[in-house]
Amino acid sequence: MRDTRTPFLLFAPAFALLGFVLLSPVVYAGWFSLQRIEYGAPTGYAGLLNFRRLFDGETLGATFGRTALHTGLSVVLTIAIALALAVWIDRLRPRVGFIVQTIVIVPWIVSTVVATLLFRWVFVNDIGIAAYLIGTVTGGVSGLLTEPGGAMGLLVVVSVWKRIGYAVIVLLAGLKSIPDELEEAARIDGASGWQVFRRITLPLLKTPLLLTAVVLTLSNINTVETPLILTGGGPRDATRVLAIDVYERAFAIFDLGSATALALVMFAGNILLVLAYVKLSRWRA
Amino acid sequence: MEISKTLRGALLGLATFVAGLAVTAAEAQTIRMWTFLNPAGNAPREKALAEMIRKFESANPGVKISVEPQVWDQMTPKFLAAHRAGNAPDIVWVVTDLLGDALKTGSLADLGELFVNKWPAAARDERKDGYWSRCAQGNRVHCLFHSRNYYGVIYRTDFLKEAGVDPAKLSTWPAFIEAAKKLTVKDASGNVTRWGFGQQFSEDRADSQMMTSLMLSRQGDLFDAKGGAKWANATGAEALKLQTDMVTVHGVTPRQAVTWSAEDLYEQFAAGRIAMFTGAVVRISTMQAKVGSDNVGFMIWPGIDGKPHSPAVMAGWAVGVWSGGKNKAMAGKFLEYMSTGESDKLWVEVGGQLPGAPSTLASMKAFTDLPANAYLTTAALGVAKYGWIPSVEYGVGGYRQALNKAAQDVIVGNVDPMAALVAAEKRFNQQNNR
Amino acid sequence: MTAPVSRLKIGRTARAALTGLLCLLVLANLLPLVWGVLTSIKGDADLFRFPPTFFGFTPTLEHYERVIASGFLGSMGATVFYAAVTVTATLALALPAAYAFDRFEFPFRQTLFMLVVASIPLSLGAAALLIPNYVYFVQIGLTNTWFVLPLIYTAHQLPMAIWIVKGVIEGIPRELDEAAIVDGGTHADILRHVMLPLSRPALGAAGVLAFVGTWNEFVAGSVMVDAPDLKPVQPMIYSFIGFFGREWGPLTASATLAILPILIAFAFLGRHIVSGLTKGAVKG
Repeated sequence: MRDTRTPFLLFAPAFALLGFVLLSPVVYAGWFSLQRIEYGAPTGYAGLLNFRRLFDGETLGATFGRTALHTGLSVVLTIAIALALAVWIDRLRPRVGFIVQTIVIVPWIVSTVVATLLFRWVFVNDIGIAAYLIGTVTGGVSGLLTEPGGAMGLLVVVSVWKRIGYAVIVLLAGLKSIPDELEEAARIDGASGWQVFRRITLPLLKTPLLLTAVVLTLSNINTVETPLILTGGGPRDATRVLAIDVYERAFAIFDLGSATALALVMFAGNILLVLAYVKLSRWRA
Repeated sequence: MEISKTLRGALLGLATFVAGLAVTAAEAQTIRMWTFLNPAGNAPREKALAEMIRKFESANPGVKISVEPQVWDQMTPKFLAAHRAGNAPDIVWVVTDLLGDALKTGSLADLGELFVNKWPAAARDERKDGYWSRCAQGNRVHCLFHSRNYYGVIYRTDFLKEAGVDPAKLSTWPAFIEAAKKLTVKDASGNVTRWGFGQQFSEDRADSQMMTSLMLSRQGDLFDAKGGAKWANATGAEALKLQTDMVTVHGVTPRQAVTWSAEDLYEQFAAGRIAMFTGAVVRISTMQAKVGSDNVGFMIWPGIDGKPHSPAVMAGWAVGVWSGGKNKAMAGKFLEYMSTGESDKLWVEVGGQLPGAPSTLASMKAFTDLPANAYLTTAALGVAKYGWIPSVEYGVGGYRQALNKAAQDVIVGNVDPMAALVAAEKRFNQQNNR
Repeated sequence: MTAPVSRLKIGRTARAALTGLLCLLVLANLLPLVWGVLTSIKGDADLFRFPPTFFGFTPTLEHYERVIASGFLGSMGATVFYAAVTVTATLALALPAAYAFDRFEFPFRQTLFMLVVASIPLSLGAAALLIPNYVYFVQIGLTNTWFVLPLIYTAHQLPMAIWIVKGVIEGIPRELDEAAIVDGGTHADILRHVMLPLSRPALGAAGVLAFVGTWNEFVAGSVMVDAPDLKPVQPMIYSFIGFFGREWGPLTASATLAILPILIAFAFLGRHIVSGLTKGAVKG
């Protein structure tokens, strides 16, 4: 339909809210990041001083690499497992599907802090129930968290565990909205189950898949609670990701200038990443 | 007649209500306070605060102390931002690490003017300890410390007795290590079921470690006059080595210590999995509730170079009146009330924490003589003679994390202690622009 | 109803592996939950009893009493209000916006939609800008009001909701709304009588996401309001990981209470996703 006034009226309220609540504080933060910040308050224009401070420590590159590794692994694993689960739940009778779905979303509906603490207590800590039971079988405690590779592995596992529920919900909503006729027609034409999934189902899931990928990527990059509680960024910085860096600058060192600068750099990176996802998937509104 | 009686009662009630409203409107003064305690809650310290508020409000009709509980680690940054924006509460609790920032922004009013100068000289003098000096600037006093905290060794009295260890004799490190070895228990297959000495080296919820006590004993401070780290030297390396040897040489601290936050230690202790650990005195009452009130003891760090003890880090909450508030006089009045002998006693008896004035503890001999409360006397001695608080002249944020990272380097990465400290010092100085 | 994928040929080993994975997932999801609920009814002395067990302690409600005494039910009420307003406002704003983006051609359509997509990071990463955001909201005088949190939360949830709903509207045959136009219907009629019923799985999903997002939001909830009766649940839960340590008893008790509303919301909104309403609707 070609009409400019009607669509404008339809989306204007949404845009007004986004502009007011989300965009304008970022503009303020941009101004804030260009100020000299003393004792938490802006005291005058400082140019790019706060941004230059980010490169003082020479560790930013490695932190960036770990962030990419953690996010990349977590997103790929979450989507792969969630897709399999969603397809499976879609086939179940509604009541059974509802029960399975409810179990699957449990870690996601509990707040990140509580969920991570409980996971760590039950499965990782040697005084936790699962770790204790495993310990009685294998003898001794798990050294997973004391080894750099093990700690990163565990961080990925917890990140996947925490967010699978979200991905399942979105993918399932997508699956449910695909009309049966399309798949049935393909099958009557002699396509195998896998072919139907590959040629019909998957392309129709493009939007939910893209959405899931975007949200998972962003929440993995920006969540500080999981790595902070699970490993504190250690051992020896093995799980120190960008979100921990921002948190430490803001709340341990109280260097709000460089914390805001880094947060803005991350925002810019996040936005570019999202646009790149959309571009690469050839998705069109 | 019943009806008219009811009606009259109702009218009377209404009149009282309206009169009440008028009085409230005329005299109501609400004092806003930010703290991490929720007086509606029923934790010991929360009950103590609620009791103080109740008493103060009944002695000062028309005044309402409105507590707005905050998330403790965001509270001080948020207060500084609110001060800047002109919307801070009348009374605020400032965390020790950011006290310097709060003072330099001028956000805390002079309490001398409000009430401290009216105190008898003796009352002022007895409070002049390390805490006081951090709040004092010239003749002015900008805060009073509450919820005082002191770090040392928390131990299981029963485990020590079982192993024949007398805590009073652990005044040197060799003696301490010997005891820790005795307290480390293994099962038939050689797995450790209880560790002698718990420590934590995660950067999450990092507390001050034993190594700082050695450095404080020799250097007097952890930082130089400009706030630069003073760690990468012979004393620092010796201290870090002694600390990590507990894991790598003596086997009294588990290797998992590199993943443990301060919280993990309290949980391991509650599970009976460690006999002694680096801990904070404010947490003892909670531990007593978990493992029995007579089973938890506290000692000051062992000494070096022939001294009986080494100094420990102190912390707490600096409570002050917001300099931009409209109710400074009344806010000061409540703050003064929070520091009276009556309130101080409540903090100790109900809240289980250290008093603001030494005389309070002295007047409660029957209470402090109970074995379960002996830790209060020990910690009070520590505060008076073996305590250290970072200067308020410069911020020292991130120092505990940097030192814990150094311990991880030594334990997991086999890095030489001196090299680890050089890296830690560099990181700290860079982060803090020194 | 045989769904197409049931014909997928899966080898026996793969099936065993899949079943194993599923059992692991169920265990990983339910064990912490069960442990958390058990912890909430253990007395202080039993919390860290070692070796840990599921049984052999005297259950107590003391932690629930403490949580309730600290005003938790009031916070739950406030949060239910915030969440209800947020879900309603989000869906009410998202449906017309998604409809506009899917069914209309207008200049800068793709660019404007990318603007919506690009604001997702702003809602997910807002924690990093805590202090500047706080100062900004103090200066425009919105902090400590009953509407500041629903306002922020609706903005947080809106970009994703628009995208989800648009994804489903794409699948709704255009013939349906064209038929409505021919019958003399307005856009409001199409929204109400075609889009609203047919996009229920998407609205259900977007609603659940908005509800959970709002319910579990911590950062804005902890700084933007100060008055105790305006405090949402997450800062209340977090207050039991306070300066005096992790108090597992009240922590798990409050967390247990806090997942109940989510399960209820999920039972209501989530059913829309599961029941697969569109299939029948489109067929008919």
